[in-house]
Order: sequence, then C-alpha cells, then structure tokens
Amino acid sequence: MSLLELKNVSKIYGDLKALDSVNIHVDQGEWVAIMGPSGSGKSTMMNIIGCMDKPTIGEVLLDGVDISKESSKKLTDIRRDKIGLIFQQFHMVNYLTAVENVMVSQYYHSMPDEEEALEALGRVGLRERARHLPSQLSGGEQQRVCVARALINHPELILADEPTGNLDEANENIVLDLFAQLHKEGTTLIVVTHDPEVAEAAQRTIVLEHGRVAREIINENFGKKKQGPHVPCFRISGRR
Amino acid sequence: MTKRKMFLRMITASLLRRRSRMLIALLSIGIGATILSGLVTIYYDVPRQMGAQFRSYGANMILLPKDGTVLTPDTLQKTLALLPEEELVGATPYRYVRLDMTRRQQSFTSAGTDFSQVVKTSPYFSVEGEYPQHAREILVGKEIADTIGVKAGSSMQLTYKPTVAVSENAADDWVPLATVRGSAEGWNTSLVAVTATLDSEARIASITIDASSQTEEYGGRTQTDEAFQNQFIGKKLPLTLGEDVDALSGATVTSTAIVNALNHARSVSQAAVATERTGYYTVTGVLVTGGEEESYVFMSLEDMEALTGESRLDVAELSVSANAAQLEEYVQALTDADTGVTPRLVKRVTRSETAVLGKLQALVFLVTAVVLLLTMICVSTTMMAVVSERRREIGLRKALGASDNSIRAEFLGEGMFLGALGGVMGSVLGFVFAQVVSINVFGSSITFQPLLLPVTVIVSMAIAAVSCLLPIKRAVAIDPALVLKGE
Repeated sequence: MSLLELKNVSKIYGDLKALDSVNIHVDQGEWVAIMGPSGSGKSTMMNIIGCMDKPTIGEVLLDGVDISKESSKKLTDIRRDKIGLIFQQFHMVNYLTAVENVMVSQYYHSMPDEEEALEALGRVGLRERARHLPSQLSGGEQQRVCVARALINHPELILADEPTGNLDEANENIVLDLFAQLHKEGTTLIVVTHDPEVAEAAQRTIVLEHGRVAREIINENFGKKKQGPHVPCFRISGRR
Repeated sequence: MTKRKMFLRMITASLLRRRSRMLIALLSIGIGATILSGLVTIYYDVPRQMGAQFRSYGANMILLPKDGTVLTPDTLQKTLALLPEEELVGATPYRYVRLDMTRRQQSFTSAGTDFSQVVKTSPYFSVEGEYPQHAREILVGKEIADTIGVKAGSSMQLTYKPTVAVSENAADDWVPLATVRGSAEGWNTSLVAVTATLDSEARIASITIDASSQTEEYGGRTQTDEAFQNQFIGKKLPLTLGEDVDALSGATVTSTAIVNALNHARSVSQAAVATERTGYYTVTGVLVTGGEEESYVFMSLEDMEALTGESRLDVAELSVSANAAQLEEYVQALTDADTGVTPRLVKRVTRSETAVLGKLQALVFLVTAVVLLLTMICVSTTMMAVVSERRREIGLRKALGASDNSIRAEFLGEGMFLGALGGVMGSVLGFVFAQVVSINVFGSSITFQPLLLPVTVIVSMAIAAVSCLLPIKRAVAIDPALVLKGE
C-alpha cells in the first residue's frame, strides 16, 4: 500500500522547472533514498513531501489525501501529524536541553510528556545527556536527539534531509543503524542524500537529474550490510 | 506536563539562557517603566509639592467681615472649621489699630496677630531678632525701627486712644487738638447736633450747629445767628445756659439743647480719655519684608485685646494648599455657609500657581510620552534583532508543526514576561527616582502609591506587547522550508 504518491508533479519557478513531471510512489514501511546532484530538484521535492511547499502542477497523495492544493495552515497540521523531520544542520533550539527539544515536538503535536521524551532519548542512547544543552552535545549526539525528536510523535513518515552530511563515519553509522531499527518497526523513511553509502542503506534509491526521475535502483543487498564492530547497539523499546 | 507548563518552560528558558540579549530588552523596558512610574508619581505629586512651594509666597485667600458685621475670633474659628484641615497651611488673623508712641508725637499702625500663624502664611517675613513669644513682646517694622531708633531688646510705650468722640480733624486748615461732637433733644424731641473744635487749652475755637430739625423761624435761627454762636468762642466746657451763654430769644428749647449737646460731648470725650490705655512692650525683633509691613508694629492678639479692650478682627489671611478650582469651591462653600465672613481669593497668587502647575504637568506629560515612545522603539528594535537571530529556530518550530498562533503566542509571551518584569523593576526604581527628584528639587519626600505598581506593570506589558507586533509579524512570515536548506 502506498503511503506517498507523486503524480505528474512539476514545480516551476518562472522559466525554471525545478521538478518536471515527476512520478514516484513510496510504500508504507518502505525505506527510500533520494539522490541526485545539486540543482536536480532534491530540495524542492523534499519541501513538497514535507508539506512546506506546493507543486505548480500535479497531485501529491499522502496517506491517500491530496496535499497539493491544501492551505499552508492545513499543511502545517498534516506535517505535524504525519511527518517527522531530520535535517542536515540538526537544528535544535539552542537554549533548550535535549529532552526539552524533544518535548517541543510533543508540544506542537499534542501534549508534552517528559517521561516519553526521556524514553525516546533512551532509544537513541542519550538518556544520560537529556539535561544537556545543544552546545554541550557533539554533532552526532545532536543528530540523535533530532532522530528522537522526529520519532516522538510516531509519524507515518520520517523525512531526512542529508541526515549524515555533517557527521563523521562513526556517527553516520549510528544514525543509519537507528534508521534501520525504525524501518524494522515499520516506519516509512525517505532519506535525501548525495552520499552513495547512505543511499545503499536504503531499500530503493530514486535518482533525480534536472528535475526528473533519472532512474530507480533497487538495493538487492538490503539488510545484508555488515555492521562495523564500532557501532553500539541500542535496545529497541517495544513501541510500534 | 501541560502545554501551559511547557510554554512557560520554553519562555523562561529563552529568557534565562539567552540573558545578554534579553537583558537589553529588559533594561529598556525597565528604564521606560522607571521613568514612567517616576514621572507619574511626580506628575501627581507636583501640585502638592508646588502647592507647598507656592504657599511660601503668601496667603491665597482672605476672609473679611461681612458688611455691617464684626469679625470675631470665634467667627473665624467657625469658618476655618469648614475648610479641610490638612489643606489649611495657616490662617493668620489681623486687627489693625492706630497706636501712639506715648513719649513721642508719633503714631503708627499696629497689627494684632497670631505669630504662630504668621510664619505659615507669610514665610517670606524675615525677622532680625526673634518673633515675640511672650506677652508684651512686639515686632517692629524696619521703617519704624529706623525712624525711631529701636532694635531688638528696646522697650516701647504705646498708647491706644479710642476714636469714639475725640478725633483729629484733617479737613480743617487750622489743626485743632480735638473736635467734640454731641447731640441733644430740642423742640418736639428732635435732635440738635453740635460740633465744636477745641484749641490747645480746650477752649472752644469754632462751633457748627445743625438745627435743621427745629422750627425754621425759631430754633433754626441758631444755625446762622452769629451773635449767638460767638458767645461760645473762647469758653471752656461745660457751659451753663444763662451764665456762660444766653439763649437765643424765641429759641430757648433749642439753645438748651445746644448747650446740653456740648456738655454731653465733653463727658463722652472725657470718658474716652479715661479709656486711653498704655502698655510697655519689649521689641524682640525687627521685621524686614521690603513691603508695607515694615511700617507696622506687630503684637499678639492678646496684647492687642488688652490694649483696646476689644476682641475683634479686621481680616484673616489664609494659606490653603489647593489649586485654583478647589479654592473657588472653598470660597463658594464658605459663602454658602454664611458664617459672617466674605471670603476672597488672592487672584494674583492663585492664577500664577495654576499657570506654572499647568506648564509643569504638561512638561512631565510630554517627557513621559517621549520616554514611552523611545522605550517602544528600543524594545521593538531588540525584538526585531531577536527575531532575525532566531529565524532558524522559528523555521524549525514551524517545521515541527508550530502554527502561526503558537509563534505569536511565544513571542508575545516573551515580550509580556519582559514587560511584567520590567514593570515591577520600574515601579520600584521609579519610586526611588521620584523620591530622589522630590528630595532634591522640592526638598520633601513622597509616599509610595500602591496603585502605581499594577498600573506600571500593565502599561509596561502593553508597551512590550505593542513593541512586539512588528517583530512578530516578521517571525510569522518566516518560511519553515529555510531549515531544509544547507548553510
């Protein structure tokens, strides 16, 4: 069953076609990577899927609902309810502690619950660092907090924009490992990246070029990648 | 944890963990609130302060006896009781009489008064020496002191001569020592009036008869008959009809009345001389005012009463700490109460007070308005900087699902929190500020107005809220997608 479907989606800025008649679909529980060089339309697509922009032409079905014509207020509601976002620059509220940053997401979604937020931090191995400010956390730790923040409201879809772009290899592996765990739990993941290694971790890679889908690659080795000995393994709580 | 708690937690975290930036906003609100509460305190206190200042320029209300009545100390007390006690700075009674300096041919106006009130209604009086404190002590105006050569410590003998029957006659070229007037019943019990001037040896120098009430061709002739009138010249009172003077033929009754009138006048005059009183006084100080008071001798009302045998007042000068409108009301109230006095305002004083106060308050108001405007600009600028500093964070919050209203609430919340904090700070500092100004400028302290605390806090919060409007508009306009773009 497809969770996300882009039907003939174009985004046109004046003469420039950032996206040109793109058709993709992502199934529920699928882990998809979107690759492509700069200017290929990755960011535009990300904005549209993330309910932060609307296509000029075409339909975007998220969970069966066409979001291409919704008001920005409605899009905010959809984004809040269905999508968990992870960014390259981490983006934490710098005057709030790790656990408070997770709670901000709960606050906008429904009700802040510190216990639940601490539990989510536990999932990413940062329970002990919950009271630290972002400035006291390493980049990898910050990104793990962001993963915790993205999953706290149990979104249908986790949308990650270059999640490992600012991380060293060790932290990259930790984050990918977390993604793998989320995938196992049935969370749909869309990861925008230009790093082939990150793309390889996904089940399927969609390659964009000049605003069009150039090709799709099915990762036949999915799930067989050997994990390095340096990667810590976190206990996965029984949610989902 | 409730949403409200999280909201407060986010706001306090934002304020506490981003201290330096918020301190500037807090400081500007705090200073604005300080000036606001300080100036408002002064604004309301200025009339009181200035009122007290103005009171040092003298009385602003006078009480006069109503036509045909006598102002007594009792009447005065009754009238004063109608005025609010706390606003009555002082009320000085005055009784003016002419006194003679017994051993010299000098006489001057003497004022009986209450020295404890004089210092209140005429604080500008300057005394070389001291104000009288005991009975039979007097204050002498500088002009008199210079003329007769007295100073603090000198003694003076003063005489009071009632003016009932003996008076100086200034109308006549020839200045006699005294004029006697009298009247007696003549024909048909109608009154005949006689006026005679006496020379230095108390002999009659001239005589004027008013017998218009008598039959014209009989008694009336006494008015014009020179032979009859000349009999009186050079004679000493009392007179006996038939011995000292002869009656005018055909006008015996009138002639008798004339003699009786003169004799009566003499006895009254003697009575007057008999009521002449003399007192010995010690000069405690010389009064210097630069005004007409310098030609007066001041003594206590009690001494004045003892000297004249009368307990009456001519005027009372009041110093009332109130503005022109209130004074008008008091005048009206006193007039309505009809206690036997006529209240009058010293317009010259009240008008200039009103004018100065109005200008001062307008100035304070203007300064307050400007300060508030500056505060608003300052807070607005700071919040604007905060918004652009936090663009990314705002974008993130929106990406995480914050609605426009959440963003508004958060920034408004921070602004109002700063406003409240600055307001409390400003109320306290404002009082200190007003106190310092008051002590340094007016030389008196002010009382804390509890109502000003909530007012200042609310106004500060309102100003903070208004200042946040534009920055919030900017914040709401931030595109959440900006967080997806790389650095």
